[in-house]
Amino acid sequence: MDLKAILEHHVVDQIWARIPVGPVSLPLSKHLLMMGIVSLILLVLFPVIIRSRSAALAPLRSMIEIVVLFLRDEVVVPNMGHKGAAFTGYFATLFFFILLMNLIGLVPYGATATGNLAVTAGLALTTFFLVNFSGIKNQGFFGYFAHLVPKGVPWWLYPLMFPIELMGLLIKTFALCIRLFANMIAGHIVILVFICFIFIFGAFGTAFGLLVAPISVGLVLFTLLLELLVAFLQAYIFVTLTAIFTGAAMHPH
Amino acid sequence: MEALIRPELGLTFWTIACFILLVVLLSKTAWKPLLHAVEERERGIKHDRQTAETARAEAEQLKADLAAQLAQLKAEVHSRLDEARVTAEKEKDLLIEEARRAAAAIVETAKKEIDVQRAEASRELKDKVAELSLLAAERILLKQIDHKANTELASRYLAELEKERPGLNLGNN
Repeated sequence: MDLKAILEHHVVDQIWARIPVGPVSLPLSKHLLMMGIVSLILLVLFPVIIRSRSAALAPLRSMIEIVVLFLRDEVVVPNMGHKGAAFTGYFATLFFFILLMNLIGLVPYGATATGNLAVTAGLALTTFFLVNFSGIKNQGFFGYFAHLVPKGVPWWLYPLMFPIELMGLLIKTFALCIRLFANMIAGHIVILVFICFIFIFGAFGTAFGLLVAPISVGLVLFTLLLELLVAFLQAYIFVTLTAIFTGAAMHPH
Repeated sequence: MEALIRPELGLTFWTIACFILLVVLLSKTAWKPLLHAVEERERGIKHDRQTAETARAEAEQLKADLAAQLAQLKAEVHSRLDEARVTAEKEKDLLIEEARRAAAAIVETAKKEIDVQRAEASRELKDKVAELSLLAAERILLKQIDHKANTELASRYLAELEKERPGLNLGNN
């Protein structure tokens, strides 16, 4: 039994083919497939659910509506002001995109696309672009960079503070990327380890393995539920942090 | 395992492309109708609440008006009743006074009548008594005066008459 192979098989992306476009090659992989499924759900099912007037879809519609309204009233508007309400669609898309990519990893044969550094890096980059774009749009190019250093800092600290704040922009993005990736991958690894415990103890003796199996399965179920919580929590955190960063860039004071 | 932490840049590109596409398409197909419906509903709720508040204010105003009117009506009824009571009292006094006066007049008339009647009765009685006594006297006289006495009396009368009128010669004496 090769634990490393099992882990790699379940956690790491599997690239099936590559499309060479100029200097880079675009991979076709399992995580891309999952992302595609999520995109398809978002593009097809969500508009259908939202636009339909049938009573059967009403609960789903209410669920989506509750989430969107929560994002608008509790995340977007408090952090970005009423001007930010126009961004509700962006944040709703971000939330559901991350949430569904998190959840699809809990489905059998599914894989967690957000448990891939490249994917979370892509998401963090969109946040990075949004933060800088809205900051420059609201305060002007020079105004935005002039306001990077918080008010009240003595002038002689500016040469020190400005590079730190500039780095802070990148670090925030990097932290977003790593936070989501680590949270999504950790649960999977823990589950795999718990399952491997059964075979590790089974190697000492069949009875030993049978004794450990129920405990392991119980722990796996617990971790699975924890992952369900984390899936929602991390989507929420990513969206909230994006809103906070964007709001801070839009309104420096 | 190093594949876990080696980012595949192509996938990053896919992610960004996918996400931007989703943002563009979903904001048109999903979030716009959703938020539109929500805003419509919020506006409807606001409108309903305003309508309800207006209606409540109107109802309260109406209630206050009605209460004021009722109070006014009550006061009017009270004053009218008082007035009627006073009038009735006056009327009663007047009626009693009149009745008393009429009664007094009747009594007066009756008294007068009685007096007249009594006077007449007494006069009649007097006449009757006189007549009766006359009759009784006549009877008594008729019984008492006998022939002799009558003759004597007649002769005395005659003598007297002779004395008084000497011219008259009666021949006797």
